[in-house]
Amino acid sequence: MTQENPVIEIEELSKVYTVTEREAGLAAAFRSLVNRKTRDVRAVDKISFAVGEGEIVGFLGPNGAGKTTTLKMLAGLLHPTDGRAAVLGFRPWERNRDYLRRMTLVMGQRNQLVWDIPVIDTFELNRAVYRIPETDYRRTVDELTELLELAPLLRKPTRNLSLGERMKCEIAAALLHRPWVLFLDEPTIGLDVTMQRRIRQFLVEYNQRTGATVLLTSHYMADVEALCKRVIVIHHGKLLYDGELSGLADRFAPFKTVEVELQNGAGGRPLDEYGEVLVRSPGRVTLRVPKIETASVTGRILTDLEVADLTVQDPPIEDVIEQVFSQEATESEEG
Amino acid sequence: MYYIRLFATYVRLGALGELEYRANFWINLLQSILELCVALGGLAVVFSHTDNLGGWRPEEILAVLGVYFLVGGLIRVLIRPSMVKFMEDVRQGTLDFTLTKPADSQVLVSMQRVELWRLADVLIALPVLGTALVRLRVELGLAEALTFGATMLSGGLIIYSFWLMLSTCAFWFVKVENIQVIFQSMWQAGRWPISIYPAWLRAVLTFLVPVAFATTVPASALSGRITSSTLWGSLALAAALLIVSRWFWRVGIRFYSGASA
Repeated sequence: MTQENPVIEIEELSKVYTVTEREAGLAAAFRSLVNRKTRDVRAVDKISFAVGEGEIVGFLGPNGAGKTTTLKMLAGLLHPTDGRAAVLGFRPWERNRDYLRRMTLVMGQRNQLVWDIPVIDTFELNRAVYRIPETDYRRTVDELTELLELAPLLRKPTRNLSLGERMKCEIAAALLHRPWVLFLDEPTIGLDVTMQRRIRQFLVEYNQRTGATVLLTSHYMADVEALCKRVIVIHHGKLLYDGELSGLADRFAPFKTVEVELQNGAGGRPLDEYGEVLVRSPGRVTLRVPKIETASVTGRILTDLEVADLTVQDPPIEDVIEQVFSQEATESEEG
Repeated sequence: MYYIRLFATYVRLGALGELEYRANFWINLLQSILELCVALGGLAVVFSHTDNLGGWRPEEILAVLGVYFLVGGLIRVLIRPSMVKFMEDVRQGTLDFTLTKPADSQVLVSMQRVELWRLADVLIALPVLGTALVRLRVELGLAEALTFGATMLSGGLIIYSFWLMLSTCAFWFVKVENIQVIFQSMWQAGRWPISIYPAWLRAVLTFLVPVAFATTVPASALSGRITSSTLWGSLALAAALLIVSRWFWRVGIRFYSGASA
């Protein structure tokens, strides 16, 4: 996708790690002290994309696909091995202060809040670090407190907060300086469904209010569906897909899901002839049908059976994603 | 000015955190008093046999002991907590948060934690130093005070730079707490003036683990034993180590962002 006014722009970005390898066991451990075997791992392999101002883009891929590595390069924490990247016109890894002041990084699995002191005091610390003027700071804290319902949490020490409460505070702490670009690495990981929804709503609202650009990774498709019109899928460090979320199914899922409601049940008839039966209950059946056969199969179902209702859907996005990665895995094994 | 204000914030946060652990202060105070008693007992034993140890009179050695506790306390308040936190951060990956802040990473890392309750060590050092001064019959004039201040400052900077370099190794080896144990045991040697040690150990304590500059040198400034070459040497070494440790830090950061996952 091309962007009119890209905030994030990366071109042929690559990152190769050199990892030391050793076999299991004590002897191998000692051997590796003297003679280290190393291997190159291509974590990110010539990725290019651009993200426009105010966009929320979902960055998808299985564990180890290179998502976090890419985010870290964009946040200025890692030097790429090759390629170019510009965020807000800065080269991230030069860690220009003006750049760092305009972006933020939230990592769902790591804390920046100081463990033993009340949350509001960590906020104060970030205020000092980012040199946020008093009035702006007050306004932002008030706003975030309202949006994230932080009021009862601010005076508590971090260690007394639940995981979800802590994440809300983490996000608030990361937004005090009103960054223009947000890198969110699994911001909802480990949270219950209500809290996930809360954080999603917040991100949408924050994005609308501030026009900030957001690049986020998540394992929860609900996050992606709620937040991102556009997704970028990477696997084994390579870019697989960049486009509308809705286009993902067209592109990768060779199946459609056909849901049939039967008037008198199927009368014990096996329904396998129409497609793979996914769920079957009396009077209701869900089938998986190859995309190209969808029309003919639904035609046959309608003539053969007494159908009360029939719907054809794209499979759930989770299944599509799974499909993408398993396909890709077999392809790369064959190749 | 920015960093001074930031440091004040860290001190305030340190104070806040510790109100929650008030017991620590008292236990630490008790422990330090015990340690001081043992040290004083050691002095008493030595000087019941002699009134001169390697050319040092009892009150001069008392001054060394006072400085030892004072500097040791300051290290435990100001330097060690941040360095320990830094190494934890490297291991847990939370250093990334520090590196995404728009401030000098070395400065931020070096002042990120202040453990005020360890001021106990500093407090008990003061009467020891006071007693030593009275016994030495030193008139602490402006010149002496300045010399003492300068040697304390350079001693502190030397220890800081040294410790920073040890900690920076965490970028490569991740777990380097053990390296710090070496420092701790060497530091113990600093409670005696280094000239009483054999030449090889003296060399180690001066050049390899520069403990001497933080204890013996400031103490000799108090008792008027210090030569101007030692004073200037100490200041020069502080400046040099500061530069070297900063360079080493930069190399470490570059390595970290080049290789870490």
